Amino acid sequence: MIRFNVALLLALLVSAFCLVNVRYEARRVYMALSKAQSQASRLEADYDQLLAQKRTLAAPVRVQQLAAGQLRMRPTNPAVTEYLQSAAVAAVKGQP
Amino acid sequence: MSRRSIAYSSSPLLASKTPPGRSKAIVGLMALGFVVMAGRAAYVQVLGNDFFLRQGEVRYARTLELPASRGQVLDRNGVILATSVVAQSIWVEPSDIELDDPKLGQAAELLGLSLAEFKQRISKGGKNFVWIQRQVDEPVALKVKALGIKGLHLREEYKRHYPEGESAAHVVGFTNVEDLGQEGIELAFNQALSGKPGSRRVIKDRLGRVVEDTREAIPPVNGRDLQLSIDSKIQYFAYQKLRDQVIAHKARAGSVVVLDARSGELLALANYPSYNPNQRQNLTGEQLRNRALTDTFEPGSTMKPFTIGLALESGRVKPETLVQTAPGRLTITGSTISDTHNYGTLTVEGVIQKSSNVGTTKLAMQMQPREMWETFTAAGFGQKPQLEFPGVVGGRVRPYKTWRPIEQATMSYGYGLSASLFQMARSYTVFSNEGQIIPATILKKPEPAVGVQVFSPRTAAQVLKMLAMATGPGGTGQRAQTIGYSVGGKSGTARKQAGKGYAAGKYRAWFTGMAPIERPRIICAVMLDEPSAGQVYGGLVAAPVFSETVQQALRILGEQPDMSVKPHIVAQAVEESL
Repeated sequence: MIRFNVALLLALLVSAFCLVNVRYEARRVYMALSKAQSQASRLEADYDQLLAQKRTLAAPVRVQQLAAGQLRMRPTNPAVTEYLQSAAVAAVKGQP
Repeated sequence: MSRRSIAYSSSPLLASKTPPGRSKAIVGLMALGFVVMAGRAAYVQVLGNDFFLRQGEVRYARTLELPASRGQVLDRNGVILATSVVAQSIWVEPSDIELDDPKLGQAAELLGLSLAEFKQRISKGGKNFVWIQRQVDEPVALKVKALGIKGLHLREEYKRHYPEGESAAHVVGFTNVEDLGQEGIELAFNQALSGKPGSRRVIKDRLGRVVEDTREAIPPVNGRDLQLSIDSKIQYFAYQKLRDQVIAHKARAGSVVVLDARSGELLALANYPSYNPNQRQNLTGEQLRNRALTDTFEPGSTMKPFTIGLALESGRVKPETLVQTAPGRLTITGSTISDTHNYGTLTVEGVIQKSSNVGTTKLAMQMQPREMWETFTAAGFGQKPQLEFPGVVGGRVRPYKTWRPIEQATMSYGYGLSASLFQMARSYTVFSNEGQIIPATILKKPEPAVGVQVFSPRTAAQVLKMLAMATGPGGTGQRAQTIGYSVGGKSGTARKQAGKGYAAGKYRAWFTGMAPIERPRIICAVMLDEPSAGQVYGGLVAAPVFSETVQQALRILGEQPDMSVKPHIVAQAVEESL
C-alpha cells in the first residue's frame, strides 16, 4: 500500500513539474508569437511606407520635372507618334 | 554554595494542574479561530471570489487596442492617391518630467519648437498626459526618444499621406489628426474608409511582456480601399494646364472637369488655387474651395446648345434655317440684347458657331417657357447632381411661371440661371450619348451608364456637328483644336454679378466641349474666374486648357487620332458675344 502511495506521490510530482514546465514553455512560445506578430505588423507598415515613398517618387509632378529638366523631354502628340494596329503589332511580335 | 539540579519532569512548577475549564476554553477558542479562518478561506476562495479575481486581474491583465488601418484611396488604375503611414506622436507625463533638464532644449529644437513653447505645452496640460506634438516623422521622433528624457514617450499612430499633392487635393481631401475625413473623398466615404478597431485582453508579466490572452481577441476590421474613377495622370495634366493658364491670364481662380463621355465617370477634377494636403498650415478658404462642385455661376453662352437643341427637337427650325441677327441688337420689353458684331443673316448652325445672342434669343422666343424649363431641368440644371461628394450644389433655374420675357431671352444664352462647372460638363453628355443624359460618378464602375433621353439622337447629332463648327474656322472656340483629334465645344464669357447688377470688366470665361467629335470619348469643361491680362473670352482663355487637357487625356486613354495630323495649328479666334 505504501509503495503504491509513494508511486502515486512520485507520479503527482512528475505531473506537477511537467505542468509547470509546459506552462512556462507555453508562455515562452506565446511571447515569441507576439513578438513575431508585432514584427509582422511593423514590416507591413514599413512596406506601406515604402509603397507610399515609391509613389511619391513616381508622382507625375516629379516625373514631369525630371523629364523636362534633366532629360529635355516634351509631351508627345499624334504628330510624332506612330500608331500600330493590333494586327501589325502581332506581326511585329511574330518576327524573329 | 551548592546548586541542586531538578529534572524537568519533576519540576514543581509543572506539578500544579491547569484548571480543566481554562484548558477547554483555550482549546475551544483555538478551534473557533481555525473555524473562522476556514470560513474566511472558503469565502475568499469560493463564495466571494469575484471581487478578488477582479482585483487580481486589474493588477496583471490589460486590454490592448488593435488599431484598424484606414483604407487607401486609389485611382482607376490602382495608383495610390491617399494612404496611411506610421507616424510617431510625442507625449509627456508632466509629473515625471524635470523642467530644468537640459535635453528639453534639444528635443524642442528637433521638433521645431522654442523651449518656452515646449514648456508651455507641458504646463498647460493635465497632470498625467500631455501631447507635445502629434504625427511627427519617424526619424525625428526616434532622435527625440534617443535623448532619453524621463517622462517623455512615443506613441505610434497613423498619418495620411497624399502622393499626388496639390493636383488631386480637392478630389481626395484630407483627414484631421484623429484620422477623420474633413474634405473631399476622405469626408464623403469616411465611414467606409475608417474600419473598426479590435481589442485583446492579455496578461502582462512584471516586465510588461504579453504572456497570455485571457479571452479571444476581437480582430480589427480594416477600412475598405476605395477605387475612384479619377485617372491620376489626366488629373495632373488638367491641373497643370489650368494652373499655368490661371497664372498666365492673371485670373482669380479656375476649375477643370473631365468626364468619360460614355460611362459618366469623373476622370479629373481640379481647381486652382489649390493646396498641398500633406502640409496644411495656413490654408485659406480660397485654396480649400472646390469651385467646380460647390460654386455656381451663370454659364453664359455654353447654355446655347440646349436652347438650339430644343428648337431643333421641337421641329420649329432645321440646322440650315436662316435667322436674321442684324443689326446685332434686339430689344425685348425695354431691354437690349446685343452681339459683339452684326452677323447679318445666320443659319441655326451659324448662331452656335458665332455664338450670337440675338439669334439664340429669336429662336428662344418662339418657344414656351415651360418647354425651356423642362429641357434645362432634364439636362440637370437646377438639380443637385447625385454625386457622393460633400458640398455638391445644384445651381438654380427659377420656375417657368415666374419668367418674364426678358428673362426667358437671357436664360436662352445662359444668364439668369446658375450651374456649377461639373453640372455643365455632365449636361453635355446629352450631346455625346445620342440625346441621353447619363449619371456621373466619382467611383470606378465597370457597368455602362444608363441614361435618360433628353433629345432625340438626331438632334444630338445635329448639335454635335454645330459644336464641331464652333471650334472650326470662323468659330469662337478655335483654340480648342488639338493635334490629331477632332473636337467640338462651346465657349462662354459671362459677366460677373456684383450686387444686383453686373460688375464692369469682370468676367468668367468658360469652355465646354468633347472629343473626338464623331464618337466622343471625353467631355471637358473649363472655367477661369476674372482673367485680367487683357483677354477675357472663353474661346481665348479657357479653350487652350481644354485643348491641352483633351490632347493628353485621349493619349493617356489610348484613343487613336481620328484626324490626319496637322503639324501646326494656326487659329485666329473671333470675338464672341458676351
